Amino acid sequence: MSFVQLLFNGFALGMAYALVALGFVLVLNAVNAVNFAQGDLVMAGGYLGVALAYVLPIPAILMLPVVLAAVAVIGLVLSWLAYFPIMRRPPAAVFISTIAFGVILQNGYQLVFGPEAHAVRPLFSSGVWEFGELIISKQATAIIATAAVLMAIQYHVMERTQFGRRLRATAQNRNMAAALGIPVRRMIAITFAAGAALAGAAGLMLGNQFFVHPIGGVNLIITAYIAAVIGGWGSLAGAVLGAMLIALFQVIVSAYVSYTAATAMLYLVVLLVLFFRPQGLLGQGEQRRV
Amino acid sequence: MRTLLNRFITGLGLLTLLGYGGTSTVSAAEVYMPIVMPITGFLSVEGASQRNGAVMAIEDAPEGVKIRYEIFDTGTSATGAATALERALNSGNAVAVPSTVFGTEMVAMAPIAQEYKVPLLTISGLTKLTHSGNPYIFRSLPNDGEIKVAQVRYAIEELGKKKPALITDNTAYGQGGRGHMEEILAKMGVDIAYQEEIAFNQHDMSPLVDKIKRSGADVIFLHMVSHPMALIVKQARALGVDLPIVTSSSMVAPSATALVEPADLAGVCGETPSAPEAGGTPKIEEWANRYRKRFGVEPDGLALAQYDGVAMAIHLIGKNNVTTAEEMRAALDSGTYVGVAKTYKSDGNGDMAHDADVVCYDGTSRIPTVARHYSPDELILK
Repeated sequence: MSFVQLLFNGFALGMAYALVALGFVLVLNAVNAVNFAQGDLVMAGGYLGVALAYVLPIPAILMLPVVLAAVAVIGLVLSWLAYFPIMRRPPAAVFISTIAFGVILQNGYQLVFGPEAHAVRPLFSSGVWEFGELIISKQATAIIATAAVLMAIQYHVMERTQFGRRLRATAQNRNMAAALGIPVRRMIAITFAAGAALAGAAGLMLGNQFFVHPIGGVNLIITAYIAAVIGGWGSLAGAVLGAMLIALFQVIVSAYVSYTAATAMLYLVVLLVLFFRPQGLLGQGEQRRV
Repeated sequence: MRTLLNRFITGLGLLTLLGYGGTSTVSAAEVYMPIVMPITGFLSVEGASQRNGAVMAIEDAPEGVKIRYEIFDTGTSATGAATALERALNSGNAVAVPSTVFGTEMVAMAPIAQEYKVPLLTISGLTKLTHSGNPYIFRSLPNDGEIKVAQVRYAIEELGKKKPALITDNTAYGQGGRGHMEEILAKMGVDIAYQEEIAFNQHDMSPLVDKIKRSGADVIFLHMVSHPMALIVKQARALGVDLPIVTSSSMVAPSATALVEPADLAGVCGETPSAPEAGGTPKIEEWANRYRKRFGVEPDGLALAQYDGVAMAIHLIGKNNVTTAEEMRAALDSGTYVGVAKTYKSDGNGDMAHDADVVCYDGTSRIPTVARHYSPDELILK
């Protein structure tokens, strides 16, 4: 396998991670609290893919609209159950309530699907394209393309539409947004739904190569958290950058040193970022009025 | 009125105690056999197979032998397993405990079994379990020291490979198997082209596959729990690496092969104590059909090995009128049992089975065929 091939696979992994991290930061910005159920929402997308394949054995790309919609609904439920009742409490309360929601999801998956892992169908097809020595995975290509389209849609909505401006206004200053007549609660609920939908899409993509199982989301929330720290706490572009860096770093260092070294060095990088640039690579530094 | 109520409640309590409380009264034909296995977590594939085998054996108990059982989940940790076993043994007078396939958990449970003097019926391959002087461990499949010979010999002698990559996980099972395979390869004069121990919860295998390819290996040995093995098979094939892969037995479980496409299994072989899914003797086929009907999934060698181990214990309960754990231990130590897959007899250490199969997939189906059977003599490498 060439270095280019390794890089390509790392890039595909990074794109899927980026969807998870984007959803994580969307909610973080909207409610100033961490949604610890984000990883479990990834598994929701994967499990939906597994369930739909029993009924319709079609490529996973055709399941994507259903998965996006269904996991978005789960995101709405998450906001109703784990956020709105305690929205005036400290952020730590939301932290705990989303952990609880995640545990409920994990146990739900186990109850419905059993404790063993399941595989999702490929987005289009499995297999490879061979260009001489270079072998390109069809699934990796599909992940990159699909994730890029979803990110482009998310960017367009957030940056180029009035609706997106309302979402951003709510995230920046809830009280002012309310004063301007923006339905703040509705915007927050939609943000939870959007963040969940992105996670669900990631689950549909990752579930073919990495499988889905009830506690498979636990590592993904850590990845999203680190991506946000590295990229910039609250920065959407930073979340994408952070996720890409994590995936590429892990893949390249694992391939040329070891898995253990990759994990250790990744956390060392996190510490270095926190020490030398605590706002993250693309985050804005805090300023104090003297 | 109050006095009457008090008397009623007291009477009800006494009846309850007589019926359910305290030490259970066991008739000659009714025994307690708690099942302590991984039902959740990364070992749920293997745990499901062995649980099915144990439950089916209990349900098949002959008339006159009644077994009361409960299932205790060991989860994925040694402490979880130890706690589960303690709870099981404190829930009644167990005569034997069908127990976890996971070596790490068995290591934690073995001293408890010795303390309570209750035999554990396991299908864990970890060799040291039966070679540490604990007389309460009984294994109904070949230990890793034996079955790894089948895995290695098949790749080297049958497939003619000379440059293996050896990939194991960081569990006690993985480490134990690695030691055996290194020794076997050295005895056969084969140098390992590449070797790595990975975390059992590793999910991105592309760096590993890349390293294997760069090493020039011509065959991949996998010795680990099922989940990472399925990931390696799937991702290696997705990356265009079509080297033969010879695995340990949990890859042969139907719930592991269900994770990959039949085409991904082309060139994949696995050692297994037996291969009921591939058919075989009329006895195995009859058992396999009943298993399919009972559980709705394909059977596998782990399920059959656990079935035979528990069935042997139940047979001895009926034959020798075993009612206590110590009687069971003595009976298992000295008895012989003709099971579905093979004949079981302890070698004095608690190892009761000594032959194995290597099965291979042809890339068109998830049902393997037996490629080679290894007799007990062939599993001893001189």
